[in-house]
Amino acid sequence: MSQLLNIEDFTLGFPDRPPLLDSVSLHVNDGEAVALVGESGSGKSLTTRAALGLFPGGSEFSGTVSVQGLDTLTANKQRLMELRRGHASMIFQDPRAGINPVRTVGDFLTETLLRFDGLSRAEATERAVKQLEQVGLRRAKELMDQHPHQLSGGMLQRVMIAAALLNSPDLLLCDEPTTALDVTTQSGIVRLLREEQQSRGMGMLFITHDLNLAASMCERVYVLRRGTVVEHGPTQTVFQMPQQDYTRQLVEATPIIELGEVPAVEASAAPPLLQVSGLSKTYQLPRGDVITALDNAGFSLPEGGSLGVVGESGSGKSTLARLVVALETATVGELTLHGVPRPRRPLKAAERKVLAKDVQIVFQDPYLSLDPRIPVGNAVADVFRLHQRQGRKQAKASAAELLGRVGIGPDRFDARPRALSGGQRQRVALAKALAARPRLLVLDEATSALDVSVQAQVLELVEELRDQFGLTILFVTHDLAVVSRLCSELIVMHQGRIVEQGPTARILEDPGDGYTRNLIASRPRPLWDAEPVTA
Amino acid sequence: MTATDHVQAPAPAQGGAARKRAKDRAVRPTVYILKKLVSLVVTLFVASLAVFFSRFLVPGDPARFLLRGRSPKPEALEEITRQFGLDKPAWEQYLNWLGGILQGDWGRSLTYRQDVSDVLLGRLPTTLQLVALAAVFITVLGLFAGIVASLNKGFGDRFILITLTAAGAVPPFVAAIALVALFSVGLGWFPSFGSGDGGWDRIWHLTLPALALGITYIAMVARVTRSSMNEQLLREHVEVATSRGLTRGSVVARHVLRNALGPILTVSGVLVAGLLVSSAIIERTFGLSGIGQLLVQSIDRLDFAVVQAIVMVVVAAFVLVNTVVDLIQPLIDPRIAAGTESR
Repeated sequence: MSQLLNIEDFTLGFPDRPPLLDSVSLHVNDGEAVALVGESGSGKSLTTRAALGLFPGGSEFSGTVSVQGLDTLTANKQRLMELRRGHASMIFQDPRAGINPVRTVGDFLTETLLRFDGLSRAEATERAVKQLEQVGLRRAKELMDQHPHQLSGGMLQRVMIAAALLNSPDLLLCDEPTTALDVTTQSGIVRLLREEQQSRGMGMLFITHDLNLAASMCERVYVLRRGTVVEHGPTQTVFQMPQQDYTRQLVEATPIIELGEVPAVEASAAPPLLQVSGLSKTYQLPRGDVITALDNAGFSLPEGGSLGVVGESGSGKSTLARLVVALETATVGELTLHGVPRPRRPLKAAERKVLAKDVQIVFQDPYLSLDPRIPVGNAVADVFRLHQRQGRKQAKASAAELLGRVGIGPDRFDARPRALSGGQRQRVALAKALAARPRLLVLDEATSALDVSVQAQVLELVEELRDQFGLTILFVTHDLAVVSRLCSELIVMHQGRIVEQGPTARILEDPGDGYTRNLIASRPRPLWDAEPVTA
Repeated sequence: MTATDHVQAPAPAQGGAARKRAKDRAVRPTVYILKKLVSLVVTLFVASLAVFFSRFLVPGDPARFLLRGRSPKPEALEEITRQFGLDKPAWEQYLNWLGGILQGDWGRSLTYRQDVSDVLLGRLPTTLQLVALAAVFITVLGLFAGIVASLNKGFGDRFILITLTAAGAVPPFVAAIALVALFSVGLGWFPSFGSGDGGWDRIWHLTLPALALGITYIAMVARVTRSSMNEQLLREHVEVATSRGLTRGSVVARHVLRNALGPILTVSGVLVAGLLVSSAIIERTFGLSGIGQLLVQSIDRLDFAVVQAIVMVVVAAFVLVNTVVDLIQPLIDPRIAAGTESR
């Protein structure tokens, strides 16, 4: 087998700064699927883009990156463009951002064919339609005239794949091609990619942060950390018997469903802290359409319990979370918190303050949810002053103590959020929520934006704090594995409705609803797991 | 399942909704255009009210002005007042005026003793030609400077930016004097006065005025182009286009400039009003007899009919241009028509 992609001692960086990539070496053979895994900032994307001769402006690099013998570091523009058109294609993370929104799908697909391959419009269209059908899109002819905003994310990613396959490339580079998609959509895309790669005998370099996904796609894997390859080898060996500490941490941090580890439901005689019945939320669109974001939800959460809410985008899970913390007002239905029924109108400021003492929420993106101008210590201290009526000095001391508890040292007290990493920020957000001493903590995808190792730390922290403070937890997420670790009870939502609810262990073991089964089956399985796929 | 397994068809229950949506899609553009046209008419109507009734806020009696300070006999004053319909109640005057406009009769000029439409028609072409030429300069030079600045980071960008800032700060009359000093007095390339006799001669005569008129706007359009393109250059779809082997030129033209057009067009639409107003100064400086100069004279002489007509024409031009811009926007960015600009 010849080496399709060969990267040797590739170093890339900006002048006067430590290199972003340091002597990276990897290769992909013809017809081989290779994964490149690592956390954010590890240099995965830079490495892959180098294979197409795409480098960040102003960067300096050395080494070799050769694709079919062409060194992209030194090749001239013309050769590079030929490489990109005919031999190597790339699939990007977010098809919504990656396909020009003001041009039609057809235009996107045919632009290179028309411009550089000398095809007539009719020929190019025919070829594009054929390719769209091959990647599993129906009504391909109509799609050609549609604009990206008229297609769903999954369909768009298929369009992106079709575009990448149009010129039958020898090398397919995939940069987190399913990260922006829902779990069930992801499984379809992954299957498609794997099949295309196998049937065409393409070489594939698959970038992902998700070890499970890498295991389900690729025979070999490279683990990248801060710009260096720390370990490589056959996927099964690397994941099952990691040699390096970092890989071991990564493997351990990756959430998986282990039925034995699911927290058991504790029978408690305590009255429910949160009781919801017949809760619905509808939005009236200007043109008369009505969107039902949440439809007739009902459940109860006992004091000290932990409830997971799982669903894909648009399932209404975030609406539910926002209703619980009174960021939204329900259209119909009852919501009783600690015996107090929620009025069906926006809360007054005083009522909100009382509620906030009992219920706190942590949002998905700590980069957006912290005020960038307020030092984190003050941010937490402010909560103590507001809700615990503590004096300035006392609040500061309490904040320092709480931040210490979530692993933010006193030296970080005066730092602004900008100076903290994503994981540290989310811990600050958590501390801010806990400073109110809430009974109920709502986590809205609170770990989704974090790297797996950071996610593991934050989850551990939540578990610890739950036991310490006797918190009741409502955990909203798309990730079944995360929920299985933290929540004893589970709600599965789909298109605004609760399709299944009950003890987490029971639902995972024996899902009663078709959608739940689909959700569980959609989780990527390692290639070496010979289990037949049951959909 | 195979690679050709098809993406789930919508469930039968949603079929009705899907059909309704398809129908909506066909109806929506028409509704959109109608809405814009209705708002155009309403805006013009409100503008006509403002234009007409503002006359009553201005001190001075037009009939008295006509008599040029002579102390008239009361009967003569009454006669003139009746002749110009100034004795009727305001709303009736308005209705007559509006009715007249709709039939192409803008009333009679008090100073010229001619129909306003004749006075206007004699002057309008010069102004329109001036503005049109200025618009060409603005589009070509503004876009060019913006594109060059955006694609040449570093020295080129900074140089153009500083030049633009300076150019944007120059008032039209200063620009006019500077251009005349350089190109007609110094180099003798262009005439400094008059509007020429049609054809190339006209363009030759109007070049300097148009440049002087457009210089501020060139700077504005260039700045908008630059920032709008810079924003697009960072978008992922531009990287995708590059990764597919498109040439730099194709990427810029098809994916950067094309997507940047929206804001550029919006700003250009708003600039039109300024162009028409600034043309008064330029016409005066270069001795062109256009409506700008006419407007200034007519205000001086309390020739209300002419002032109202000119203001109405300017307002109409402004509203019309912006309606056209609004109608073009959905063609540039289809997400606007769909009303889902998010993401």
